[in-house]
Amino acid sequence: LTVNMSLYFTVMRLTKPTLFTNLPATCEDRDLPGDLFGQLMRQDPSTIKGAETLMLGEMLTLPQNFGNIFLGETFSSYISVHNDSSQVVKDILVKADLQTSSQRLNLSASNSAVAELKPECCIDDVIHHEVKEIGTHILVCAVSYTTQQGEKLYFRKFFKFQVLKPLDVKTKFYNAETDEVFLEAQIQNITTSPMFMEKVSLEPSMMYNVTELNMVTQADKGESTFGKMSYLQPMDTRQYLYCLKPKPEYAEKAGIIKGVTVIGKLDIVWKTNLGERGRLQTSQLQRMAPGYGDIRLSLDLIPDTVNLEEPFDIICKITNCSERTMDLVLEMCNTSSIHWCGISGRQLGKLSPGAFLSLPLTVLSSVQGLQSISGLRLTDTFLKRTYEYDDIAQVCVVCPFTSNEC
Amino acid sequence: MDSGEAHAQRPVTLDIAVEDVNQEVSAPAPSEATIGQTPPTDGGLPQEDSIDLGRDFATPQDDSSATPSESLMDKLNDQMMESVMISDSPNNSEEDDVVPIDSLLDGGEEEENVAEGNQEEQSEIRQNTTEIKVSVEEQEEGGLQEKPEEATKPKDEPVPVCTIFSQGTQPKSLVPDGFQPTLIKSPSFSMGGGEDVVTPNKMGGPLVCQPSPSLSKFFTDNGQTNPASDFFDSFTAPSSFISVSNPNAEIPPGSLQPPTPQTASAPGSAPTSAPAAPPQPFNQLFSGSDDPFATALSLNEADRRHDAWLPCEETRKVLISVATQQYGPAYLESSRLTMPGLKFDNLQGDAVKDLMLRFLGEAAAAKRQVLTANSVDQSFNGLKQLISSKNWRAAVDLTARMLTAHGQGYGKAGQPTSHTTDSLQLWFVRLALLTKLGLFQNAELEFEPFGNLDQPDLYYEYYPTVYPGRKGSMVPFSMRLLHAELHSTWLMLTPPPASCSSQILENLETGSAEDGSMITLTQENRQASLKLWRSRLSRVMYSMANCLLLMKDYVLAVDTYQSIIQYEPQQRAQLLSGIGRIFLQIGDVKTAERFFQDVEKSGQVKGSQQALATCVLMNRAFVHLSQNNYAEAHASFIEVLKIDPKNPVANNNAAVCLLYLGRLKESLGQLEGLVQQDPTQYLHESVLFNLTTMYELESSRSTQKKQALLEAVACREGDSFNTQCLKLV
Repeated sequence: LTVNMSLYFTVMRLTKPTLFTNLPATCEDRDLPGDLFGQLMRQDPSTIKGAETLMLGEMLTLPQNFGNIFLGETFSSYISVHNDSSQVVKDILVKADLQTSSQRLNLSASNSAVAELKPECCIDDVIHHEVKEIGTHILVCAVSYTTQQGEKLYFRKFFKFQVLKPLDVKTKFYNAETDEVFLEAQIQNITTSPMFMEKVSLEPSMMYNVTELNMVTQADKGESTFGKMSYLQPMDTRQYLYCLKPKPEYAEKAGIIKGVTVIGKLDIVWKTNLGERGRLQTSQLQRMAPGYGDIRLSLDLIPDTVNLEEPFDIICKITNCSERTMDLVLEMCNTSSIHWCGISGRQLGKLSPGAFLSLPLTVLSSVQGLQSISGLRLTDTFLKRTYEYDDIAQVCVVCPFTSNEC
Repeated sequence: MDSGEAHAQRPVTLDIAVEDVNQEVSAPAPSEATIGQTPPTDGGLPQEDSIDLGRDFATPQDDSSATPSESLMDKLNDQMMESVMISDSPNNSEEDDVVPIDSLLDGGEEEENVAEGNQEEQSEIRQNTTEIKVSVEEQEEGGLQEKPEEATKPKDEPVPVCTIFSQGTQPKSLVPDGFQPTLIKSPSFSMGGGEDVVTPNKMGGPLVCQPSPSLSKFFTDNGQTNPASDFFDSFTAPSSFISVSNPNAEIPPGSLQPPTPQTASAPGSAPTSAPAAPPQPFNQLFSGSDDPFATALSLNEADRRHDAWLPCEETRKVLISVATQQYGPAYLESSRLTMPGLKFDNLQGDAVKDLMLRFLGEAAAAKRQVLTANSVDQSFNGLKQLISSKNWRAAVDLTARMLTAHGQGYGKAGQPTSHTTDSLQLWFVRLALLTKLGLFQNAELEFEPFGNLDQPDLYYEYYPTVYPGRKGSMVPFSMRLLHAELHSTWLMLTPPPASCSSQILENLETGSAEDGSMITLTQENRQASLKLWRSRLSRVMYSMANCLLLMKDYVLAVDTYQSIIQYEPQQRAQLLSGIGRIFLQIGDVKTAERFFQDVEKSGQVKGSQQALATCVLMNRAFVHLSQNNYAEAHASFIEVLKIDPKNPVANNNAAVCLLYLGRLKESLGQLEGLVQQDPTQYLHESVLFNLTTMYELESSRSTQKKQALLEAVACREGDSFNTQCLKLV
């Protein structure tokens, strides 16, 4: 039996050590204990000398339990094989495998056998593995060796642990009037410890350029929109905002960005206790591009405030989003407040697929207040199809004389 | 090891090292071990349904299913982790003691037990204190005669002040340095040794039968007598009976007769009727000469400075009316009174000895010699002895005895009592020790009757006969702080000491006295007061910052630590380093480095160069550690040791780094050597915890090695030693 037990074999997970904290209880000289409490605190090796009431000390303590392990973190373990017997043991081979639900990985630093292990000596190995799967993991450690009697022995041990999800990510897209897309990503810390978000960036797909909107720049100083501390408490959620602009070569052909498009992926790096690091990437974020029909009419220029009964200019951009050439006629219909200036029913000419034209128009409003620009009609003479454009923008109409009359 | 279920529910607890030990034991043959272990493999793998995170993780649609169960589990885990940190209570006294507190009337058996216990304890006290009691009486007589002379003596001559007067008749005004009741012992306790402790129990049959009616009767029958004066009687009157100040608990029948004429509306009893009545010495004192009066006033400065406090409006009104003798405090309804009592009286025991009994046998355990509450003087000195020898559990036991003798023993909560400087100091020591021992629930429970420490009977003004002319808080400032610390951690309240201290400081700075009154202070006194209250405010801020840190409100904690620097500029390096470590704990290495750089910049300012160099190197080591660079971290700790070879922190931390570098044997050798060479420094729970963890990792003989540590601990450490770090159980 003793021969069989000659090797002692343990595994200890190496999370980061923790800093020892004191619970200072002090008193004043006039109090009953006099200087006793102070004296005891000064003698305590774990207090900060000169500032004994500072709770967070400098003494490192080893991890007290297995703890939690989260996706994207690095699993580190100490593997120790110790010869507890009084005899030399030969040809020791230590193997550490990690079995996940989808694969089996070898984590041992070396796969060669140790020739011999004297009594009271040990073989040490520190293994590291970045955890890439959620769910049950089993560390399988196997030791084989030969006793002095030539007996070949082999035993295995299993250490099971669960890998949990550290973050909850929700995304939302906002389509701007322009071709820009805004991405709001809500990131929630669903672990039990505070998390320092070292990096939350959006890696855009080839079609887009990205601007991060999580800093307020003032006088050359960038300040995070999240304030001084860039950490997330357990269960806290934070919104990150990104603006995606189509690259010029794609922007020209706005009509081409259609249906489901790939926007990019979020790359998240966080740190916890004493720099314990984790990193995750989301899968490709996809977005359904808004449909514009065959012809897209957008506004390139419009004033926000205009005077009552005074003509103002707007510039419309008309893009052919269909796959055929169109021959367009523009009609302008007045509404109760909006009056178009110029000729209605004029020919705009032919527009090939993907092409656009800019169209300056003049309009005036006869009613005060916030008015909707409506009443544009485009007719494709090839197919005799009419497209109606109402509520394409708003202007605020004010009366310039009010102050005089008062 | 026993169940896969446990793992599934709470993977946190999976303790590899421990598990392994069990395996070895349960499965001696390797082949069997293999078989024994297979089930997890089978059971574990197929259960997982969605593992492919890449897809599962990110898509917005999926996120709505964001596993409430998981987050709930996290919450649970969080709580569990918290509790690991906080609770260490070796005995289950919290739960056990909750029941019998208020059951004085119905719980017949228990009551008897309690009573017997008290009697026993008191008899012990009696044995130990008889001598002192005699000497006190002698001094009392001498003191009375000498008083006028004494008052005129030069200030620095040591005066053998008898404790009774230091309490009752405010000899503090006579103590030359104006400072502490260098109390050997509270008079009430020494008197508690008197033979008649038991008499009330024997004789006062009717009182015991109906405690509360007797109380009201006691008060009403005697007109406007106030408890304070009774209390006063209780230890200045000839010692034929009274022992305890609590009028309800042990009213000696005799004390009913001479009610002190406290108020104008009690004309029946004149001061002359009670020869030994309290006011007399003061009558003598004040009528005797004007000089002592003046001296008394000037010596009051220190008292005023330290005791200053700002009671709430309601309390202030009561105190004013007591001072102006509008009515006696006896009229105060009991809800406005503080009626504390022990909530548990079981002995604290000695966990080290228990472990020795269990692992090393009776013979070895018998060798363990620590001081207990029995083996020291039943006095403040004995208490101090226990505290300094780190026998805090015994010290808690001793406070229990002394408080019992004061009438605030087990089960006395909610019964009228009166307070003295000493009784409150005892409570403070007791509660502080409970906190130090990590018995937070016990401390909180016993704090409960004190309310928010703002009842009128906790102020000196409430006892004009006992403490004539003295004003302010009888509750020590440190006790208020402790109270706030316990409550802000759990109830998240802003501690009143902060607002009060800053108000008092403001009062001082704007030219009035501490309490805002327009007394003129001499420049010297004002400076002394400012100094005291600034240091108190900085202490309060330390407490707040520490509590905020415990509550994980890092933003506010950091802000608060930073604002302490202005009060404690000499602690700048330590505070900035501490803030840096907070950032490291959160994981924000960059910001931490910024603070560490500030420490290095402040280098030229002041403080010993060695201390600063140590500090800077330590900080660098922690940064390396946070960058996963254990080799560099180790090198930095070694650098510290070149400057300060005996630095226990650097030695321990260097050893910890070695383990992460895969050098277990070296690390172990280093720590073991340290503990053997310099046990006073290294028998610290953090070091021992590291050592025992490594023992478990190293070999199957960890239990023997831990037991050797236990023996080392047994020779040196007191009963407050936290045995959990030995990981024997």
